[in-house]
Amino acid sequence: MADEAFRKEALQHLDALHNFAVYLTRNGPEAPDLVQETYLRALRFSHRFEPGTHMRAWLFQILRNTFLTFYRVREREPALSEDGVPEGPAPMFHDAPPEGASRLEMHTDLERALALLPEDFRTPLLLAEIEGLSLDEVAGIMECPVGTVKSRIFRAKERLRITLKDYIEEHRS
Amino acid sequence: MADPIRDVDADDGGIGRLLRERLPRHPAPATLRAAVVEAVEPRRQERWTWATGWLAPASAALATAMVMLLWLPTLDTPRSLDPLRGLARAMVTEHERTLSWAEEEPEAVQTALPDVIDQSGIAVTSLFKGDDELQMTSAQPTYVEGHRGLSLGYVDSEGHALTYVIVPGGQIALPSSGRQEQIDRWRALVRTDKDSGFTVIMWKQQGQLCALVAALVSEDDVDTLKDYFVRVREATDIKPI
Repeated sequence: MADEAFRKEALQHLDALHNFAVYLTRNGPEAPDLVQETYLRALRFSHRFEPGTHMRAWLFQILRNTFLTFYRVREREPALSEDGVPEGPAPMFHDAPPEGASRLEMHTDLERALALLPEDFRTPLLLAEIEGLSLDEVAGIMECPVGTVKSRIFRAKERLRITLKDYIEEHRS
Repeated sequence: MADPIRDVDADDGGIGRLLRERLPRHPAPATLRAAVVEAVEPRRQERWTWATGWLAPASAALATAMVMLLWLPTLDTPRSLDPLRGLARAMVTEHERTLSWAEEEPEAVQTALPDVIDQSGIAVTSLFKGDDELQMTSAQPTYVEGHRGLSLGYVDSEGHALTYVIVPGGQIALPSSGRQEQIDRWRALVRTDKDSGFTVIMWKQQGQLCALVAALVSEDDVDTLKDYFVRVREATDIKPI
């Protein structure tokens, strides 16, 4: 049974886990259930956690594996094109955003652009750039070499630059 | 503060900074926080509760849809070309199905196990019921390729789900031992399909066909699955037919 210190530390990462779950599920309604499931598994296998190691990374790994186990078939969705990037010009706006709404629209488009990335590009980008995990930790979570993590993050950023091209050009001052 | 949009192309860090500064954060809603806090209370930890109602019906529906979409086109494939391929696919389908059968309380699985074994028609004298690494989460009589058998679900400490299936082996012949792999004291057929994302380990034991299925395909993960095979194989005794 997990001790008090373990439970207390695990709860500290709740917001980060939920944030990651939202982007992993592409803002689906399953995010809260996924987080709850993660905590139940973490508590059940708390004896496997090595004190002194990074609990945050361990929790992210459980969450991702739980997501992949139960959402795998849903991830097999047709790509927009062979590499998941819209073919041809695909501006994020059809009309110029109203004055004062540009920041909100940018948030929305960033989320949409992120959602277009396949999971194995989206995850390392989120974990490294948003959650601040080291590349070694991300590699451990994704169970792949550090070099693969670097490559996927690089390609994820490349795709985001393409997807957000129109908006970036429009808002460059 | 520098505009992250201006710096997007400047270097590889531009997109990262753009995300950190402009991507919305989604903290846990109050209802989720309350539910998690309650769930981690010590008195709750004795019960293994699965997520709320979406999991079972959603997984069952998705598993069925997957069967319809992915396996129907193979119905015309002559089985004689590669009967083991069809069998491996059937085991994967069974694995998908067992994901929807996870019990709310693992103790209930253990309690019901003798009746389930009896209904399955598989005469086991001892069975792998889990250990500190693997927890049994479901046990169901089942039909695989027209054979009545036993289907057991487990989950490991990292959230990977496994399915252990035992059906009468009968007419099914595994490739000669030369094509099987040596895993600890036993030989088994290991098939990894990276496209579908599953590995199936198959072996025969006292005339029964046994299989272990999991969504583990990397070299390290397949080694882990082989370790799980050893635990399962070591703890399971089946009466000879």
